[in-house]
Amino acid sequence: MLALPTCYRPAAAILCLLAPGLRAQGGDLAERLYQSGERAYAARSYKEAIETWQQLLQSNPTSSYCPKALLKLAQHQVEIEKKPEAALPFLDRLKADFLKSPEAAEGLLLSGRLLLGQAHRPGDLKDAMAEFHRLLDLYPDAPACAQARLELGRAWGLLGQWGRALPQFLDAFRLRYDVRVAPQAMLAAAETMDLLGDLPGCLRMFQQLHTEFPALPEGQEATWRMAVRVKHRLQRPGLKLEGPWPQGRVKWLKTPLLLQGTPEGDLLIFQNDLDHAFRLRGTELTPVGPPGPSARALVNSRAGTLWMLTRNTLIREEAPAPQPIGTLNAVTGGVLDAWDQLWIADAKVAALTVLAPDGSTRSVGSPPIQALTARLGGGLVAASDSDRKLLFLDQGGQPRLVIPYGKDLPAAFRTVTALCSDGAGQVAALVDGGDYGEGVLIFGPDGTLLRQAQFKTLGISGRITSLALDHSGAVILCDRRNDVLLRLN
Amino acid sequence: MRLSPFLVPFLLCLTLQAQDPTIREAFLQAKAAWAAQGNRDEATTRFEQVVASLAPRAKNLEPDSLQVLCESYNWLAVLDDRSPATKSRTQVRFQALLSLNADFELDRTMTSQRLVALYERLRSGEYAPVRLSYAPEGGQLRVDGEASTALPRKFLPFGTHRLIYQRPGHTPQEQTLEVAPREARALAFNLPRIASTLRFHTSPAGPEVLLDGRSLGHTTGRGGTEEAALAISMGLRPEDLSKPFVIPELPPGKHRLELRGPCFRPRVLELGEDLAKPFADHTLEPIRMAPSRGTLTVRSAWPGGELFLSGEAKGPLPVSGLSVCAGTYDLMVRFPAGGFSRQVTVEDGKPVLLEVQPRPRLAYLGLEGGEFTGRARFDALLAGFGERLQHLAFLLPHRGETPVDALARLKASREAELVLIATPVADKVIHRIELTLATLDGEEERVVVKPLEEDPLASLAERLNRLPRLQQPGLGLILLDLPSEPGPWVLGATEAALKAGLQPGQPITALNDQAVTSAGDIQKALASAKESVTVRQGDRTLTIPVQTDALEVPLGQPGFSYPAVLAQLRLRYRGASGEAGNLLKFNMGLILMHLRRYDKAIELLRDTHLPATQGISQGTLDYHIGRCFLRLGPAYLGEATQAFRQALKYPQATLLSPDGPLVAPLAQQALDDLK
Repeated sequence: MLALPTCYRPAAAILCLLAPGLRAQGGDLAERLYQSGERAYAARSYKEAIETWQQLLQSNPTSSYCPKALLKLAQHQVEIEKKPEAALPFLDRLKADFLKSPEAAEGLLLSGRLLLGQAHRPGDLKDAMAEFHRLLDLYPDAPACAQARLELGRAWGLLGQWGRALPQFLDAFRLRYDVRVAPQAMLAAAETMDLLGDLPGCLRMFQQLHTEFPALPEGQEATWRMAVRVKHRLQRPGLKLEGPWPQGRVKWLKTPLLLQGTPEGDLLIFQNDLDHAFRLRGTELTPVGPPGPSARALVNSRAGTLWMLTRNTLIREEAPAPQPIGTLNAVTGGVLDAWDQLWIADAKVAALTVLAPDGSTRSVGSPPIQALTARLGGGLVAASDSDRKLLFLDQGGQPRLVIPYGKDLPAAFRTVTALCSDGAGQVAALVDGGDYGEGVLIFGPDGTLLRQAQFKTLGISGRITSLALDHSGAVILCDRRNDVLLRLN
Repeated sequence: MRLSPFLVPFLLCLTLQAQDPTIREAFLQAKAAWAAQGNRDEATTRFEQVVASLAPRAKNLEPDSLQVLCESYNWLAVLDDRSPATKSRTQVRFQALLSLNADFELDRTMTSQRLVALYERLRSGEYAPVRLSYAPEGGQLRVDGEASTALPRKFLPFGTHRLIYQRPGHTPQEQTLEVAPREARALAFNLPRIASTLRFHTSPAGPEVLLDGRSLGHTTGRGGTEEAALAISMGLRPEDLSKPFVIPELPPGKHRLELRGPCFRPRVLELGEDLAKPFADHTLEPIRMAPSRGTLTVRSAWPGGELFLSGEAKGPLPVSGLSVCAGTYDLMVRFPAGGFSRQVTVEDGKPVLLEVQPRPRLAYLGLEGGEFTGRARFDALLAGFGERLQHLAFLLPHRGETPVDALARLKASREAELVLIATPVADKVIHRIELTLATLDGEEERVVVKPLEEDPLASLAERLNRLPRLQQPGLGLILLDLPSEPGPWVLGATEAALKAGLQPGQPITALNDQAVTSAGDIQKALASAKESVTVRQGDRTLTIPVQTDALEVPLGQPGFSYPAVLAQLRLRYRGASGEAGNLLKFNMGLILMHLRRYDKAIELLRDTHLPATQGISQGTLDYHIGRCFLRLGPAYLGEATQAFRQALKYPQATLLSPDGPLVAPLAQQALDDLK
């Protein structure tokens, strides 16, 4: 040890005495800065709060309040500024410098969720899943683990690996019974069981969700999802015409042409004479989205806005200027997939066009498609009149099931006018021509024909151009000639 | 009232019997020594013995004993007067007698005129006579707040006195009287009547008296000479009766008189309105209480239990048909490991059968060092924590023992199943306490509480009081609530239910003749169902057996304390066998998995066999064993693979409950991942 000259010794002693006090003062300052930022944030003085926390990070970079401030800053970027990418540097510092802090678990979860949200292709999921696994390994008892398992399950689902997704969903509500996560996990688990072919298991899970969380949105969602599955797949009552729908409303539309159900259970109707789409909720009809002259397909975006495909353009509610879609000229349908890619069918092009979120397009080989709809768990169902086949495509656009027109029917039809799905696995087709003639067919997720009816038998004589499946298991038909909607139940 | 010639000696005996037998014997011997033998010294000695025994408690003596004491003084004065050596004590005897009871009149048959004159002179030196009249008679007199016999002539000390005369059913009267030497005074009490009274005795004393449901107190005391005639007429001894219980003011109208005693059948008497009006004093026949007893049988599958009933030892278990008074008791059974306690109510003529099992003991080891604000309150809360626990017996630390020493002692003696240690969290200022709850084998959980909160232990107490269900009643049906159906819709059914005629694809509309609209209604109704239930499906009524479905302990729920649940299951397992024992072992294994004790979980699960093939069954068990091996790392992948393969052999096995997800696809996925 070095000996100090005598003259410096008193000063050194004073410094030694003061040092713990200074450290304590630094700790107090960090706490005061953090709490001052919290107060400002609670008062919605965001700028002041952020500056205070930044000051804390600069003045006391090793304080135990730094991870709290970093997490708050990241959450602010996500929740208030809506700039998820701006949150990642804060989270990276939190993980790098404070991995053992209690906030690190929440930080890892947020980081994983942001990476998951930014993923546009399967390869992008790797980093997000790594964050969730890290959280589960490092903090197996943290409350964030339930959400992490739910997100992991969703990530496996995006990859189409439902067998791997299911244990994650089950653990999300089984091993960490979090009242916010459990109902979401149960809903996801039930849907996954259906995708894995376990319909009884799926229904039991829905029933459990319905019983345990009847007031939550997930509980109500479970109720209709269970009911439509039972009705279409197990009870299979014959389809009967109930008449105009909503009840008693006739000649109230101006040439309805297209129908599209929404996740909330509403119905989107495109009226050709008005060149506009409308939302039907209960009996109330309200205009929605920008005008869309001669729309060919209606698409629900992930943000809940309406997209319309015309003959050769895409019109989005959030960007009213029509966006050209390459060389397509006879669009017949469009489906948005889990990666926010818009799959577009064209009757004159022997391929499906995939429009990426960045505006780039690519083609996936297929015969010309006359109608297109989404398939449960990702993928598409496409109707090819030229091949006279219904194609059940996977997430990559590759056919997994091929159903010849007329299979399991007394007679074959020739064309498919429209397709729709109900979000619970059922797909309905509006068919025409051949010996079968005009009618409606309802298929299960495995392509099994569940229910069917010919319009001549039902006494329908209008010009039906589109159809939708509602949350009670009924089929809504769009009758262009009579300006009316019809309900089959 | 005229007494029969046979009754007089009997009553005299009774009077003396009521006193202490030794005093009674001494008093009678003293009288005999003088009257029969003329032995003055012997008689004096005996009377002095009586005085020495009774005088110190003169203020609390019963009237009979007081009379004996006064007579003894009278006798001693007479005997002392006969000898010159003792003559001087005569005056002292009279002074003592007057201070005891100035109203006492000397027995003139044995006391000389001279002595009577002396006595009167002494009395008139301090007291003056007061003539009293009472209308009606038979009430109670209080002189200067003290109870006093209501005599027609009373001697009161000179000065001012406050006299109160009261009688049930009448308005009490108070009068003030100035007493001066050589001045004879007279006072008259005339009480106005305000209500009827009711007087009765019970046999025995003790029952609670309720008039129209309102408690008036309990009958007390033992009957004396006044109750003798009544008692004899009922074939009882006077002491079998209580002292009279008087309802001083019987309100108008009809009434219901009820008598309740812990060991007797309740007696109810309907009182007519003629008792209340016109005003009168009514005396009921003595009310005989019939004994009320039940039997208590306490058994346990756990060995070594000893029964205590409200603190009284009743011997080792099993205790069969123990006759006990009807009533509510604090029943406790001490076991070598754990204990059991609960309140039990025994009803008249009915047997109570209890199958008891021990509860785990939670030993509080103490609050480790560190002073903080509110420490004394927090200490007190922890010390009284046991009163809030329903399923655990709570043990306090030994005086002066440190937590470390206490833990070492408990580990050596195994006197507890769980331990609780409180440790302040090292902050600048202590404002958080970490509570560690652990089994003696080290399975633990930690919670942090703030000692200044209103009830920092509320959450812990609530969690310790919650126990998971491991079984539930079921019908072997998969039921769905469909909006379009009038009742729960049958998706699937077991063979037994199908055999009973139940049809899948149809709704159930009633269970045991009660309408049901949801699966939840059925589950609620089954909670109280017996061996079978009737269900209505369409227009058919079917009888379906009720089965018991195994459940997995719900894991990860913040509402449970898993070390405490584990301790409960371990204790229950000691007394369980067969299927129940295996289900307990299975769930103990799951909790060990949850606490990441995979090696111990495997050991336990491998030793378990679940006979069922559907629901929570052997397939479930095998799947969990596979998961444990996976957690142990790459060295055990072979064992994991084998376990998952075993699980695949049970395609109907489920997780969580019979309605839970199937195990087979999960096991298959695990196998695929292992490839």
